[in-house]
Amino acid sequence: MDASLSPKPSEKTGLFNWLDERLGIAEILAFARHKSVPEHKHSFWYYWGGVSLFFFLAQVFSGVLLLVYYRPGAEGYDSARQITYDIRFGWLIRSAHSWAASLMILAIFVHMFSVYFMKAYRKPREFGWWSGLGLLALTMVFGFSGYLLPMDDLAYFATKVGLAIPASIPVVGKFINDIVRGGPEVSSATIQRFFALHVVVLPLLFVPLLGFHLWLVQKHGNALPPSEEAQPASERRSIPFFPDFFSRDLGMWLIALNALAALASLFPWQLGPQADPLTPAPAGIHPEWYFMSQFQILKLFGRWFPGATGEALGIALFTAGLLLWALIPLYDTSTKFGRRARNATWLGVLALAGLIITTIWGYWEV
Amino acid sequence: MNYPFWDVPIIGSGWVIGAIAIFHVLISHFAVGRGFYLPMAEAKALREGREDWMEVIRGHSKFFLILTGVFGAVSGVGIWFSIGLANPEATSTLIHNFVFGWAIEWVFFIVELTAAAVYYYTWGRIPPKTHLRVGWVYAFSAWMSLVIINGILTFMLTPGQTWLGVAGTGAESTAFWQAFFNPTYWPSLFLRTLVTVSLAGVFALITAARIDGYKQPRLKTEIIRWSSRWLIPSFVLMPLFFIWYLWSVPASQRRLLQLGVSTIGQGTFTQVTRTALITVMISATIIAVVYFVAYRNGRNFNLGWSLAILLLALSATAATEQAREMIRKPYVIVQHMYSNGVRKSEVAVFNRQGYLTKSVWLRDEERAALQAEPAGAQAVKVSHGSPEAKALVNGEMMFRGQCAACHTTDGYRSMKRLLQGRDHNSIMNLLKTMRENKEDSPYRAFMPPLVGTRQEVDALADYLHGLVSKGGASLESKTAVRR
Repeated sequence: MDASLSPKPSEKTGLFNWLDERLGIAEILAFARHKSVPEHKHSFWYYWGGVSLFFFLAQVFSGVLLLVYYRPGAEGYDSARQITYDIRFGWLIRSAHSWAASLMILAIFVHMFSVYFMKAYRKPREFGWWSGLGLLALTMVFGFSGYLLPMDDLAYFATKVGLAIPASIPVVGKFINDIVRGGPEVSSATIQRFFALHVVVLPLLFVPLLGFHLWLVQKHGNALPPSEEAQPASERRSIPFFPDFFSRDLGMWLIALNALAALASLFPWQLGPQADPLTPAPAGIHPEWYFMSQFQILKLFGRWFPGATGEALGIALFTAGLLLWALIPLYDTSTKFGRRARNATWLGVLALAGLIITTIWGYWEV
Repeated sequence: MNYPFWDVPIIGSGWVIGAIAIFHVLISHFAVGRGFYLPMAEAKALREGREDWMEVIRGHSKFFLILTGVFGAVSGVGIWFSIGLANPEATSTLIHNFVFGWAIEWVFFIVELTAAAVYYYTWGRIPPKTHLRVGWVYAFSAWMSLVIINGILTFMLTPGQTWLGVAGTGAESTAFWQAFFNPTYWPSLFLRTLVTVSLAGVFALITAARIDGYKQPRLKTEIIRWSSRWLIPSFVLMPLFFIWYLWSVPASQRRLLQLGVSTIGQGTFTQVTRTALITVMISATIIAVVYFVAYRNGRNFNLGWSLAILLLALSATAATEQAREMIRKPYVIVQHMYSNGVRKSEVAVFNRQGYLTKSVWLRDEERAALQAEPAGAQAVKVSHGSPEAKALVNGEMMFRGQCAACHTTDGYRSMKRLLQGRDHNSIMNLLKTMRENKEDSPYRAFMPPLVGTRQEVDALADYLHGLVSKGGASLESKTAVRR
């Protein structure tokens, strides 16, 4: 880094000194400058955690603005209609909120798979992996609960269909569904529950877990992929986190903001007619893309093994897969690139291919 | 394929032009900007005796020769093919007016391409001063090709009163220079020249990113900083020229931009404002990313980032070109020809005598058959062209002729989606409003009037109603709405 670009201590202003004496800013800056990020041909994947974080912040910002006008319960649809058609730039904020949800989940998926293939879950980063999976799960629940809130016909029927996933859990499935729905059917009581979940319960769980995750990242630093680890230390390169990596991170955030703004304004999220439980569900209704894979797998098992067996088998396979995925740090522990490491990589390829194929298959069939 | 009514499903014919043109604009503007960049960089290296710079510039001139000589040239020809298919009437008008303009442009092309090849192959083989002169010959001829084509492009938005006065008289060529140096000519030329200079910097960053910053940190940082500075003229002057440009656009077209701010929803008429705003946003982003990631971090600047910046530049180009196209709505040549190829002067004739029967694309026997049985809606079939074309009934011919320039049945600006939920009566009312095209019609600002006899309009209504009611209203349109 070019030292001339950062102010020398003697040049610092009175305000800086005033703040520094009270908050210890110089200490933080020195710390940030000391911290470094590895630089190699896979560095691109380091940005995706930051991009996920950016979209989360976009969600908080746009979510709070929506909260100003949205009214849960029986007035849900009406207030969504007002936001979309009456309130100035309401359509844009709503559209940005919906698009950022999809983009956030996409970014987390990219982040998760890049962490997986770079084997960044290995000791001492196991808790980073687990907390990350927790954050992904919470984000998906965020997405599911938020999707219902406008209560137009698509939201209503997609939620109804989506609830088939938890419903297929043996024994407790029906019980879970009754609790989240607040009754035997999706209704305004469900909106009220989903709203409480979406704006209070989930943030309360998400924010501390995110703090924990970020603290771990800070504590252990960026992991090196095995190919880089194999290089002698003198060959490895790194750049200071501040300001070098930080400025690139901001560059990436700017690009992410551009993508979000372009999608939200050029493809505004539409609002369908108000949900009416008495009308038949439109043909080909399906959940959002990030649930498509699970939905399709359950559907396939239901087709191959008719009755409750199929559903139970589907869920069992899913749970087993998830468990294997979550426990990978305990299985693939060695720092060497041995047989287990190769198996883990193959499992990753299989999971990624399975996810993509079942998603496309799902869309093909609707 | 059903020429002249070119049917491109899902994306529509406009986007075929768009996809080729956006790519071509990016490369061709780079080709012009590079004309200034190469000799200036070479002169600097010569002056300062920098052999290492020379190596980089030479490498860059090869990259440039391949990119512009192959992709630039091929995509340029691609534009000709696609505009000729998508809008033969407008293409014909342009050729009739500007055939000598294009002839001059092609002379400059030949000089340009020759100079580019000579420049690359004579590195180190001819005296440096002569080599530098070849670079300047390239720069001049490349910029001159922009000077020429700019006149033809801006003509479509602002043909000017003199040309409009002689349009359709057969004496259009008497107004060649007035049409060429039309009201938006100068602001557009300055804007485009600025863009070329910026793109020269953006593309230079790609070559510079490939220098190993650990082996040659000084060289890499210097070249990146020098190349980044090529964005400064745009940063300073672009807003001013953009305001000048907007100020030169006729008020009727400028209104399309204001329409977008006060209304919302899915209407295409607001799209132009959004797209214009996105251009501004992405341009600002490019400047910021280049400053933070390239200028301040030269040594570690890598290929990935340079491609990310190129992608941003491509997006900005796409948004700008789309906004420029859309601001002409409902015309393709403002005040003269509507976007579907119908001339403003022909509207009354088409309404009285029929759009299909007066079409220049019919053979005599087909015209006779149509005139014998003009009831249309049922089964008068057009019998020329491919077997598919023969099967088209009049309603579909009306759709292809007058709507398909901008709409598709179930893709881009899908009729199934836009007409969803309307019954026959309501479609008929819509078409009536569009045919009357009164001052207060909500469609007038961005859609051409519908032309044709009562029977032809009936046939179109039948066809559109058939589209919407054929199961189109259920699933496909629902998913389309989400998109």
